[in-house]
Amino acid sequence: MTQQVLNAIFIGSIYALFAVGYTLVFGVLDVLNLAHSAVFMLGAVITYSLVALHGMPFLPAAVIAILVCGLLGLLIEFVALRPLRRRNAPPISALISTIGLALIFVAIVEQATPGTLFSWLWQDGANSVRFPAGTVPNPTYHLAGLTIEGTKLGILVTSVVLMLVLGYVIRFTQIGRALRAVAENRRAATLLGINVDRIFASTLFLSSALGGLAGLLFGLAISDIGPYIGRDQVELKGLAVIVLGGMGSIPGAVLGGYLLGLIEVLAFVRFGSNVEAGVAFAALFLVLVLRPQGLFGARLRERL
Amino acid sequence: MRSAARGITIALALALAACGGTTSTGGGTASYQGKTIQLGAILSLTGAGGVYGPSSKKGADLAVETINNSGGVNGAKLALDTRDDGSDKAQSAQVAQTLIQQGNLLALLGPTLSNSAVAVHPLAESFKIPILAVSTTGIHIVPDCNFPKTDPCRYVFRDSLGEETAIPTNIKIYAAKAHPKTGVLMVANDDKFSKDGGTIVTKTVDQYGITLLDTIQFSKTTADFATPVTQALSKKPEVIFITSLGGIPAKIMIEARKQGFTGQFLGGNGFNTAVVSKQAGTAGQGAESGSAWYLDNTFPSNAEFVKAYRAKYSSDPDQFAAQGYAAILILADAAKRANLTFSDVAGDRSKLRDAMETVNIQTPLGPFQFTSAHDVKQTVWVILMDGKGGFNLLASVNPS
Amino acid sequence: MDFFVELFTNPVGFYNQHELLIAQIGINAILAIAIFVTFYSGQLTLANAGFMAIGAYTTVIMSLYLPTPLPLNMLVGALLAGMVSVVVGLPVLRLRGVFLAIATIGFVEALRLGVILNVPITGEGQGLKNPSADPLGGIVPILISLPILAYIVWRLTRTRLGQAWSAIREDELAASSNGINVPLYKMIAFIISAVLAGYAGALETHINFFVDPTEYGITRTIQILTFAVVGGTTNVFGPIVGAVFLTALPEIVRQFAAYRDVVNGIILILVIIFRPQGIVGRGGLAIIRPRWWTRWRARERPATAH
Repeated sequence: MTQQVLNAIFIGSIYALFAVGYTLVFGVLDVLNLAHSAVFMLGAVITYSLVALHGMPFLPAAVIAILVCGLLGLLIEFVALRPLRRRNAPPISALISTIGLALIFVAIVEQATPGTLFSWLWQDGANSVRFPAGTVPNPTYHLAGLTIEGTKLGILVTSVVLMLVLGYVIRFTQIGRALRAVAENRRAATLLGINVDRIFASTLFLSSALGGLAGLLFGLAISDIGPYIGRDQVELKGLAVIVLGGMGSIPGAVLGGYLLGLIEVLAFVRFGSNVEAGVAFAALFLVLVLRPQGLFGARLRERL
Repeated sequence: MRSAARGITIALALALAACGGTTSTGGGTASYQGKTIQLGAILSLTGAGGVYGPSSKKGADLAVETINNSGGVNGAKLALDTRDDGSDKAQSAQVAQTLIQQGNLLALLGPTLSNSAVAVHPLAESFKIPILAVSTTGIHIVPDCNFPKTDPCRYVFRDSLGEETAIPTNIKIYAAKAHPKTGVLMVANDDKFSKDGGTIVTKTVDQYGITLLDTIQFSKTTADFATPVTQALSKKPEVIFITSLGGIPAKIMIEARKQGFTGQFLGGNGFNTAVVSKQAGTAGQGAESGSAWYLDNTFPSNAEFVKAYRAKYSSDPDQFAAQGYAAILILADAAKRANLTFSDVAGDRSKLRDAMETVNIQTPLGPFQFTSAHDVKQTVWVILMDGKGGFNLLASVNPS
Repeated sequence: MDFFVELFTNPVGFYNQHELLIAQIGINAILAIAIFVTFYSGQLTLANAGFMAIGAYTTVIMSLYLPTPLPLNMLVGALLAGMVSVVVGLPVLRLRGVFLAIATIGFVEALRLGVILNVPITGEGQGLKNPSADPLGGIVPILISLPILAYIVWRLTRTRLGQAWSAIREDELAASSNGINVPLYKMIAFIISAVLAGYAGALETHINFFVDPTEYGITRTIQILTFAVVGGTTNVFGPIVGAVFLTALPEIVRQFAAYRDVVNGIILILVIIFRPQGIVGRGGLAIIRPRWWTRWRARERPATAH
C-alpha cells in the first residue's frame, strides 16, 4: 500500500504540472485551451527528436523544447484566440479553434515517418518510443520493499519547486500583479494602463512552456513518447483536475492533481481496476454539480 | 539486376506452388495476357491503427511490384487500390462498400483492426467478394464472421495468425521448459483485441497447471502503469501475461523490472513488433510470444522478401508487412489457377474464392495453406525479445 | 474531385457505392439536430454521445435477448435515453457555459468507462454484435426519419416552446422575469435532444453490426459539436449541412488522406474565425453576423467572466 501511495504522489505531480498550465489560461483568459494537451505531447516529441535524431544532450534539448512549446503558445494566442477576442466571440468559439489546432499538431506527428515532410521532427508515426537508454541517469532505490526511482523523484521535486516559483511570481511580482488584475477585471486592467494583449500572450507562453515541460518529464519517467500521449492520457484527466481544484485556481490545480492521483490509486486498490478509469469523471461530474467552485476554491472571484 | 533475381525466385515459388497444390482447380495455363487483376485494400493508415496499416500496405505494394516485374499472373498485371479507413469502423464499412460497388475488384484485403473487420467482413460476405484479413487476430473473424450466428462465412479468409493459436502455443512451449505454477494476467479492458487475448489466456493456463492469481484490467489510456504493476507484483507471480496493444506491453515490462520483478513475460501479437521490443529495451529481454513470422528466417521465400523490402524501403519489415506481402502472393496464386474470364466479375470472384481454398505456397511466413475454416495453417515462430529492439527465435511449432 | 463528378454523371452508381456513407450522413444529421435543440435553448451540452450509447446498447441488448420487433427496440432505446436525461439534467442544467459543457463530458466518460465497461450484459470492452443488423436495408429508416425529425424540430422552433427557448437563449434573466419557467423549458430541450441522440444511436447499430464503448467517447462528442459549429445554429438546417459536409469530407479530400486531420483542423479554425455563424447563417450564405449572436455573446460574457 505504501508503494501505491508513492505511485499516487508521482502520477499526481504529472497531473498537477499539466493542469497548472491548463488552469492558468482559463483563469486569465476565460477560455479552455484544448490545444494544451497537444503542446504537452510536442514537449516530449521535440525533446526526443533533439536527443535521438539530432544527437543533442538531454538538458539543452529540454530547454529548447520548453522554449519551442512556449512559442507554440504564442501561435495558439495569435491564430486561435486573439482573432476571436477581437470580435468578442463567445468562449465556446475558442474551444473549437483550439480543438482545430490540436487536431493539426497531432496529425503532423502521427503522419511523420522517414521520408515525409516532418521526418526531421519525428519518424515513428503512430508508435510510442522512449528516450535512448542512458539519456538521463536513473538510479532506482529499493528501500524496505519500496521502489523509488531517480527520475520520478526528480520530477516530484521539479514540479513542487516550479509551482512554488509560479505561486511567488503571481503573488509578488509586477507581471503577476498585472496577470491577476487582468483575470479579475479585463476592462479595469485596461484602464489601469495594463497592456492586456501582452499579458494574454505572456500567459499563453508561460502556460505552454509548462505544458511542454510536463510532457517531456512524462516521456522521461513513463518511457512513453508518441502522438497520442496528450490526447489519450492526460487531456481529460487534466480537465477533471482543474474542476476538482476550482477552474482558474493554481493552488487548486496542484492540490487537485495530487487528489486525483490518490483517488485513482485508491479506487484501483479498493474496488479493482475496472472502476478506476471512470472515477475521475464521476468525481468531475459530482464536484461540478455539488460544488462548482471546486473543492478548495473559496469563491470563483479569487482564483489566482 | 536485383529485381530480376527477385522476380525469378517469386516466379519459381509460384510455379512450385501451382505444382504442389493439393487439389488444383484450374490448370494454371490460361493466359491473362494484357489483362489487369484489380484488388482493393482497406487499411488503417491514420489513427490508432496507424501502427499496423502502413506496414501491411508496404508489404502488399512490394509484392505487387515484384510480381508485375516478373511477368505478372499468367501475363496479367496486378493493381492494388488501397484506401485508408482512419481506424474508424463506420468509415471502414463505407470505404469497403465503395470499393465493392466499383464493380471491377476481384478481392479485398483488410481491414486492419478487428473492430472494423466485424463491420466489413459481413458486408463482403453478403456481396460475395473474397476478403482476406491481413492483420486481425481476434476471435470470431473466421469462419464465423456473422457471430453470434455460427454458419461459416464462405468469402472471408485470413492470413494473420490468430491469438487463439499464437497464445496457447507460446504458453505450451514455455510451460514445457519452465513449469511455472503461478501467473497474473494484465489486460486492457477497453479494447476488443486485448480482451479477446485475455479470454484466451484465461482459458489456456489451466491445462498447463498454471494458477492465475489475479487478472488486472486497466484502460488503454492509463498514463502510468506503476499502480497496476504494484498490484500484480503483490501477488508474487512467476509469470506475467500481457495482452494489450501499442506501447503498453513495453511500458508494463519497464515498470515491472523497475519494481524488481524477475519472472517471465508471456504475450501474444502485442509483443511482435520491433517497435515494442525497442521501446521495452533491456526490460523486455526474454519476453516470449508466438509470432506469425520471424525476421531472420533463412528459407528462400523469407530471405528474398526481407532483402527486397530493405532495398525498397531502407528499413526492416515487420510481421504486418510479411502478412501483407503474403496476402498478395496468396491472391496471385489463386488467380493463376482460377481460370478467370475478366468479363464476368461475379463469376470471377466466385472462382477466385474456390481457388483460395486450395492455396499451398511458400511465403515469408513459411509454407502456407488455409484450414477448412479459412484460417491460417502455418508454422508458429516462438520468439524472444533480445533487449536491443529485435527478436531471437526460440522454437518453431508446425501446424498439427 | 472524382466524388462530385461521379455524383452528377452517374447518380445511381454513386448511390450504390456510397449507400453506407449516405446512411452515416443521415445519422450524423440527426445527431446534429439533437445538439441544435440544446444550442437553440442556449445550452452548451455535450452529453449526446452518452445518450447515443444508451439508445444503441438498449436496442442491441433487446434484439439479443427479447423477441420484440426491431422498431420497438429502437423506440425503447430512444425513450430510455430520454429518461436518463431527466436524471442527468436535473442537477447539471443549473450550470452554464463551459461548466455545463465539462459536466456533460464527465457524464459521457463516466457512463462509458464506469458503467459500460463494468456491466457484463454490455459485452464490456469486447462490445456486442447486433444480430438484426442490415447495413443496406438500414438506410431506409434513416432517410425517412431525417426529414421528418428535421421538420418537427423546425416547426417546434416556431411554436410557443421555440419562442420560450429563444427568449432563454437571448436573455435568461429577462425570460424568467417575463414568467417563462426557465428550468422547465431547458429540461424539455435537453430531453428532446437526448431522445433524438438515443434514436440516432439505435439507427446506427443497424448499419454498423456492432456496438462497442470506444464509439461513444470524447471523439464522438467533439465531432457532433463541430457539426453544429461548422454548420451554424441559426436554424435547424445549419447543423444538418455541417453534418453532411463534415461526414463526406474524408471522401472529398481523399488525395490528402494522410493529412485529413490537418484539413479538418484548418476548416474548424477558418470557420470559427471568419464565419462564426457557420456555413448556414441567418442570411443564407451572406457574410453577415446574425443579431442573436451578438446578443448571445453579450449575455455569455458576464456569465463566465466572473
